[in-house]
Amino acid sequence: MPEQQDIILDVRNLQTHFFTEDGVSKAVDGVDFSLNRGETLGLVGESGCGKSITSLSILRLIASPPGKIVGGEILFKGQDLTKKSEADMRAIRGNEISMIFQEPMTSLNPVYSVGEQIAEVLRLHQNMGRKEAWDKAVDMLRLVGIPSPEKRATQEPHELSGGMRQRVMIAMALACRPEILIADEPTTALDVTIQAQILELMKKLQVEMGMSIIMITHDLGVVAETCDRVAVMYAGKVVEYTTAQNLFANPRHPYTVGLMNSLPRLDEDVEELQAIKGNVPSPFSMPVGCRFAPRCPHATELCNTKLPELLEYADGSKVRCWMYTSEWDGDTKTATEVGV
Amino acid sequence: MMTTQTNPTKKPLLEVKNLKQHFPIKGGILGRTVNHVKAVDDISFTIHEGETLSIVGESGCGKSTTGRAILRLDEPTGGTVLFEGQDLLAMSKKQMRDMRKHLQVIFQDPFASLNPRQSVSAILGEALAIQNIVPAHQRRERIIELLGYVGLRPDQIDRFPHEFSGGQRQRIGIARALAMQPKLIICDEAVSALDVSIQAQVLNLLKSLQKQFKLTYLFISHDLGVVRHISDRVMVMYLGKVVEIADKKSLFDNPQHPYTQALLSAIPVPDINKKQERIILRGDVPSPINPPQGCRFHTRCPYAIDRCKTEVPGLTSLHDTHQVACHLAQV
Amino acid sequence: MFVYITRRLLQMIPVLLGVILVVFLIMQMVPGDPAVLLAGEGASEETIAKMRTQLGLDQPIMVQYVQYVANVFQGDLGTSLRSNLPVWDEIMARLPATIELAVASIFVTVVLGMIAGIISATKQYSAADITIMVIALLGVSLPSFWLGLSLIYTFSVKLQLFPVAGWGTWKHMILPAITLGTAGAAIVARMTRSSMLDVVRQDYIRTAKAKGLRETVIIYKHALKNALIPIITVVGLQFGFLLGGTVLVESVFAINGLGRLIVDAIRMRDLPVVQGGVLIASIIFVFVNLLVDVLYRYFNKRIDLN
Repeated sequence: MPEQQDIILDVRNLQTHFFTEDGVSKAVDGVDFSLNRGETLGLVGESGCGKSITSLSILRLIASPPGKIVGGEILFKGQDLTKKSEADMRAIRGNEISMIFQEPMTSLNPVYSVGEQIAEVLRLHQNMGRKEAWDKAVDMLRLVGIPSPEKRATQEPHELSGGMRQRVMIAMALACRPEILIADEPTTALDVTIQAQILELMKKLQVEMGMSIIMITHDLGVVAETCDRVAVMYAGKVVEYTTAQNLFANPRHPYTVGLMNSLPRLDEDVEELQAIKGNVPSPFSMPVGCRFAPRCPHATELCNTKLPELLEYADGSKVRCWMYTSEWDGDTKTATEVGV
Repeated sequence: MMTTQTNPTKKPLLEVKNLKQHFPIKGGILGRTVNHVKAVDDISFTIHEGETLSIVGESGCGKSTTGRAILRLDEPTGGTVLFEGQDLLAMSKKQMRDMRKHLQVIFQDPFASLNPRQSVSAILGEALAIQNIVPAHQRRERIIELLGYVGLRPDQIDRFPHEFSGGQRQRIGIARALAMQPKLIICDEAVSALDVSIQAQVLNLLKSLQKQFKLTYLFISHDLGVVRHISDRVMVMYLGKVVEIADKKSLFDNPQHPYTQALLSAIPVPDINKKQERIILRGDVPSPINPPQGCRFHTRCPYAIDRCKTEVPGLTSLHDTHQVACHLAQV
Repeated sequence: MFVYITRRLLQMIPVLLGVILVVFLIMQMVPGDPAVLLAGEGASEETIAKMRTQLGLDQPIMVQYVQYVANVFQGDLGTSLRSNLPVWDEIMARLPATIELAVASIFVTVVLGMIAGIISATKQYSAADITIMVIALLGVSLPSFWLGLSLIYTFSVKLQLFPVAGWGTWKHMILPAITLGTAGAAIVARMTRSSMLDVVRQDYIRTAKAKGLRETVIIYKHALKNALIPIITVVGLQFGFLLGGTVLVESVFAINGLGRLIVDAIRMRDLPVVQGGVLIASIIFVFVNLLVDVLYRYFNKRIDLN
C-alpha cells in the first residue's frame, strides 16, 4: 500500500447523517479510504449505499439542514476539510478539488453559454480577466476534444449532445487543474460508445495533468477499466477496500462476491444468475449487526447481532466481515470458499 | 449449457414487415409539417413462439419506438405487424383492444406505470376484470397465485406501490402482465433502472416464468450483458435501421457489422485481466431527421468506402440465423 | 423569432374580431336605447326614429358589426354619441394616464413581488419568510377599493404626504400604483418563492456550488435567470387583471383614464366609445401577452420557437 507522503486525501470514519421528520438517516456511517496522487480510486456500490453522499461530503456540499457531517475526518493534504471555514472551502471547490456529475443534461445551467460557464470558474479562482478567461475556456473545450471550440463556446447546453455536455463538464472541472477530480457516475447516463469516449478522455487527461480521480460508479466494468484501487460500499459503510487487481482476483466480502455473481457477463453463459436475495435495508432502520447479514448467504448469530469492524491486512487492504476474524462462529470452510 | 439456436421450423408468433414510424415536425407560420423524425425506417423481423428476441442499440436508434409501434401505442406510419397471422395495424380500435391481452408490456419505470392510489389487489384485479376469464369471486385467490409466481407474499396484496422497492414494483408490473395470460411480453428496458443485485433477481424471474408459461419475449435493452443473458436471438439497431440480426452465440462470438463490433468492444468488462482491443467511435449519432445517405453508419464507420456513402446496404444472410446489413460483410 | 412573431400577430386578428363581436352582443342585451338617451327626455317618436336611422341602429346587428369592423380597419372608431367627437380622440385623451398608471403598478408588482419572493426563498422557514408570506396572503385577499381608500385616509388625509385625487405629478402616481400593484405583487412574491425553491434544487445549482461560487452569485446569477421563466408568465397574467383594476382605481382616485371613460360610456349607452375603448384595451392586452411570450422564449431557449 501507498507510502504516507503519497496520500493526497485520507477519509477516516466519515459519518454524514440526515436529520429528517421520519428520523435520522445514517446515509454515510463509517467510510474509510485514502487516495494517492495520480491514482484512480473507485467508490462502488448500489443506489442508496452512500457513495454520492460521501463525495458531496468531501466538498462539504451536503445541504444543511437536514444533512450534517457528524463524525470522522477528511484530510486533504493533511488538513481536515470538516474543520475548514465556508470561505476556505469555496477556494478549494472547483479549484483544488473538482466534481462532475451523472446527469450532463441537467448539470449545466441552461441559460448561459458553455464558454461562459467555464470562463466563470477561471475568473473566480485564477483571477483572469474576461478575455483571458474566455480564451482559456475555448482552449479547454479544444482539450476535451470538442470540434470547432470557438463556435461551441458560444452555444448553450441544449444545443449540445449528452456526450458533448459531459465533455464540457470535464473542461469546466479541469480548467483550474485540480489535484482531485471527483466523478460521480460520469458515464451512467451516456450510451456505451459515448461512455467509451469519455472514459478514454478522462484517462488521457489524468496522465497529462497528473491528478487523482475518485470514480463513483455502480458498474464493475467501469471499475475494472479505470481504477487502481476500490472501496466497496454497502448501506453507508465501506465493506471492502483493496486494489482493483485484488478485488477481481480475490474478492473477500460476501457482498462484493454477490455483486460480481449477479452481473450478467458478456464473456460467459450461465443459465441462472446468482442474485443476492432480498433488498437493501432502509437507512432509517439499519440492522443491528452487520448490515449485509440479512442478505448474506453465510450470516451467523454473530453477524446478526454484532457489527464487524474494518479489518486491515498487512498489504493495506481492508474488509468488514466476521468471517475473517478469529471470533467467527460459522463454518471456517465457507470463509476460504468465499475468498476464492 | 445447451445452445438455444432458433429452429427454423418453429412457428412465427410475430412478423414485422417494413415497419415505419415517422414523427412529423411542425414549423413555419402556418404550423405545417416541415420534416419527419425517421425513428424507425423500414424494418422487418420475426419472433418465433417461445423465444426471446432482443433489440439492442443506443438512445435514438428506434428500439423503444419499435415496441410501441407494435402495440400501436403510437400509430405506425406504415408496414404490417402480423400476430399469429393477423395484421395488428389493420385492426379496428376495438379489435386491437381485445388483442392487447395477448401482447403485454413491462416498462422501465415501474413506479410511473403503476397507479399510486391503487393497491396491488386493485391493480391486478383490474387486469383480471379486463381479461375476464376468472370469475369475480375467485379473483382474490388468483391474485395471490400471481403474486406467488413473481415472488411476492400473499400478505402484501393490500399494499400500495410506494410501499415496495424498485425491484418489487417491477415484480408487480410483471404480475399484471401475467394476469392477462399473454403470449408475448414486450420488456422495454424492464431491468435498466434496477441495481445489479436486484436486476439479477428480476432476470432470473423472467427466465423461469418464460419456461413455466411458454412466454415469448421481445426484450428491448441497451445493456448487452443483460441481452446476452436473456436472449435467444439479438437484433442490433442503429438510427432506425436493423444493422444485424443473429442468434445470440453467432452475434456475440462473430459480430459482422462494424457498429455491432464497436458496441461490443465499448462495454467495459468487469475483469481486470481481460483488457480488450477497443474500437472507439468518433463523434455522436447523427440526427434521425436527416439521416446520412447510404449506410447510416458510414459517418462513424472506421471502414467506410465510397459505396457506403451512396448505397443503402440491405440485410443479407451470412448463414441461416445470421443476417447483416453491411457492404463489407464477408457474406 | 421573426416567423413566430408574425404568426402571433396574424393570430391576433380573429381574437380582436371576437372581442368586438362579444362587446356588440353584450351592448345589445343591456336594457336602454342609446337613441332615447340621446334624443333626451320627452322626445317624440319621430325624433327618436330619425336618431336611430342616423346612428345606423335600425340595421340588423350583423350589418352593424360588419360596418363597424370595416371602419376600424380604415382607422375609424366612430363618433361618440354623447360628445360628437371622434372616439379615437376621446380615447387618446384618456389613454396616457391609464398607461402611466399601469406601468407604475406593474413596476410595484414586479419589484416588490420579486424582492419579497427572493428573500422568502433564500431564507426558507425563517421569520422573514413567514412574515412575507402572511403579508402576501393579505395582499391577495384585500379588495383594491378598500386598500385605496385606506391609503388615501392614512397618507393623504391624515399625514398629508400625497394628493387625495387627480393625476399629473409623480406624487399623484404613488398611492394608485400601490393600490393597483399590491395584489399582483403578492402573487408574484409567492410565485418567485416557489420558483426559486424549485430552481435551487436543480443539478446545475449543485454544479455552481461545486465550482466554489458564492451564495449571492449562485442566487442572483445562476438561479434567478432560470426562476424568471414562470414569473414572467404570472406577470403577464397579472397585467390582464391590472387593466380591469384600473376602472376601480381610477374611480377611487378620480383619475381621468380609459377605465373611467368606458364606465361612463356604458352608463350613457355610448356604444361607439365602449367598443373603441374595449378594443384598444384588448389590443394592449394582446400585445403585452405577445411581449410576455417573446420574453418567455428569450429566457427559455430550450423551447423551440415554432
